[in-house]
Amino acid sequence: MIRAMVAAAALLGLSTGPLLAQQRDTSRLPPGVELATRYTLRGRPALAVQPFTSASMLTNTAADLTRVIENDLRLSDRFEIRPTPQSLASGPVDYAQWNSLNVVWVVSGEVSATTSGFRLDMSVHDVVYGNVKEARSFTLPTASSPDFRMAIHAASDEVVRTITGQPGMAASRVAFVRQNGNGKYDLLLIDSDGENMRRIFGSEGQIYSPTWSPDGTRLAYVVSGDEGWQLIERELDTGRTRVLQTDPSLLVTPQYSPDGSRIAFANWLPGGLEVQEMDVASGNVRRLTNSAGDNMSPAYSPDGRRLAFHSTRTGRQHIYVMPAEGGNATVLSPFGDGVEYAAPDWSVMGSEVTFHGRSRGGVYQIMLANASRPGGQVEQLTREGENEDPGWAPDGRHIVYSSGVRRSTPGLYVIDTGTGNIRPLVTGAKLRIADWSPSLAARFLGGSH
Amino acid sequence: MKVRFATSMLALMVVAVGCGRREEPEQPTPVEQPDTAGQGQRALDAARADSIRRAEEEARRMAAEGASRAREILEERVHFDYDESEIRSDAQEVLRRKLDVLRANPTVQVQITGHADERGSIEYNLALGLRRANAVADYMRGFGVEAQRLATETAGEDQPLDPASNEQAWSMNRRAEFRITAGGENLVMPGN
Repeated sequence: MIRAMVAAAALLGLSTGPLLAQQRDTSRLPPGVELATRYTLRGRPALAVQPFTSASMLTNTAADLTRVIENDLRLSDRFEIRPTPQSLASGPVDYAQWNSLNVVWVVSGEVSATTSGFRLDMSVHDVVYGNVKEARSFTLPTASSPDFRMAIHAASDEVVRTITGQPGMAASRVAFVRQNGNGKYDLLLIDSDGENMRRIFGSEGQIYSPTWSPDGTRLAYVVSGDEGWQLIERELDTGRTRVLQTDPSLLVTPQYSPDGSRIAFANWLPGGLEVQEMDVASGNVRRLTNSAGDNMSPAYSPDGRRLAFHSTRTGRQHIYVMPAEGGNATVLSPFGDGVEYAAPDWSVMGSEVTFHGRSRGGVYQIMLANASRPGGQVEQLTREGENEDPGWAPDGRHIVYSSGVRRSTPGLYVIDTGTGNIRPLVTGAKLRIADWSPSLAARFLGGSH
Repeated sequence: MKVRFATSMLALMVVAVGCGRREEPEQPTPVEQPDTAGQGQRALDAARADSIRRAEEEARRMAAEGASRAREILEERVHFDYDESEIRSDAQEVLRRKLDVLRANPTVQVQITGHADERGSIEYNLALGLRRANAVADYMRGFGVEAQRLATETAGEDQPLDPASNEQAWSMNRRAEFRITAGGENLVMPGN
């Protein structure tokens, strides 16, 4: 309901800030948590993508590229996407006309064939100043290449960077686990726009906790089977796997350090789960936590010097922050009777940590806190359904999470922390523990200015 | 158990003897001098064989019942409170019964699997399931069951008994399950 209203208001270019405020239901908020109120659709610049041009035999390709890039820019939640009127659909960019429509940015492009695929010559036009802010060539593989769409997404992310100075998240993927009805598990990938879902592998035994390497080429995850629990690292291009760690009882929640040299994880030491850290090159493991209860779900800060994690050391489930080498832990989630907080993920862009939580009798929702302000305000981002296991996108703005149980269409959803927009990424039962890749754009940004 | 068995044997024999004559087909008495002593002895022998056969059948039936009951006790689930791995008093009763059966069957080994309801993080529920399984194993080891006879593992929230999302389903799903992994043939009830 809220989303429909937000979408309708967006079409009219209206802010829905006050509307959202009227919908506030504060009856079940945990203590110390406020509903996020910074959502506004006002102030987003209007942007249009003029249909890309091409030689006549490439018109379909040009139309596909136009469509994918326009959709990516819509999903960035940073712009109001405007359609191109027929009168402006061909010919050079008419700044005066676009200006009269209050459009601030126009993207134009030309598609040509190359020996290895296509070339997209794309320009980002600043309508107000009446000039081209950036013109760039992008090399694309053939349409049948598995990298085709991702190469286009890299071009979309360049538009975002040109206009906002911020990274986009179009050229990225989400890894997640599906529990099938027959007790089998699949590890799956899907592109950031919900397309191109593919299975990496299926297993008779349990699969949990996928996590991306910082260079986007590997996934680590845990499996459980006859050999006990194993932490596996898989090279995505080749499918080669190796076992990094094992535990007969339990091993979960691995995460690479930002420079990729270490992997933190939790395994069962006498008394409960403890966070340990493995040096990937040497295989050496050192213990980072030593407390009552369980310690798990380590999440590195972008500089790799701190870890957020989940601990039940006080008998309650809370999020803590400690130095990356272990030591004194500060609690990040607010205290309260019967509260539970778990599954932290640290933004690549700064100090924001997202996690899920609820108060007694309440429903799990996605929360946001600032690790530089422990004890400061915690915001609740989601309102409907039962929402768990948040993971940051590489733009530091969007969060993927799983929504199940009390939602009519369970699956993975994406929320934008800037506007509050929520969209389904992939729907289905028992889709869980998603992890969002880093930006995969770098490998596609060949071509020249 | 032995006394009851012997008594029922005796009872059967008495009944069999009493019934013996009734089950023999009616025969006309021969005209010669009747050999009542011989007839009586044969009847007694037949009755005795009959009652031994019935007693053996009864013993087999009771052994099968006993094995079945012992298996039931070994496989009975215990349940837990929300976010807890503490052994409740109702669970203690169930575990005590298991202890007796385990003592009576020293070769039996059991796999204990801990489960959680669907609320809460998936990975946390793996830990909670393992805590529950370990709590059960620790309880039983505390009463002298050898450590190697009990194995523990977790299934987290992934194998609910009841897939519904309500209090009743959740309390069913917070449990430890028991599976006999060795020594499960010819189980006997305690006291044999």
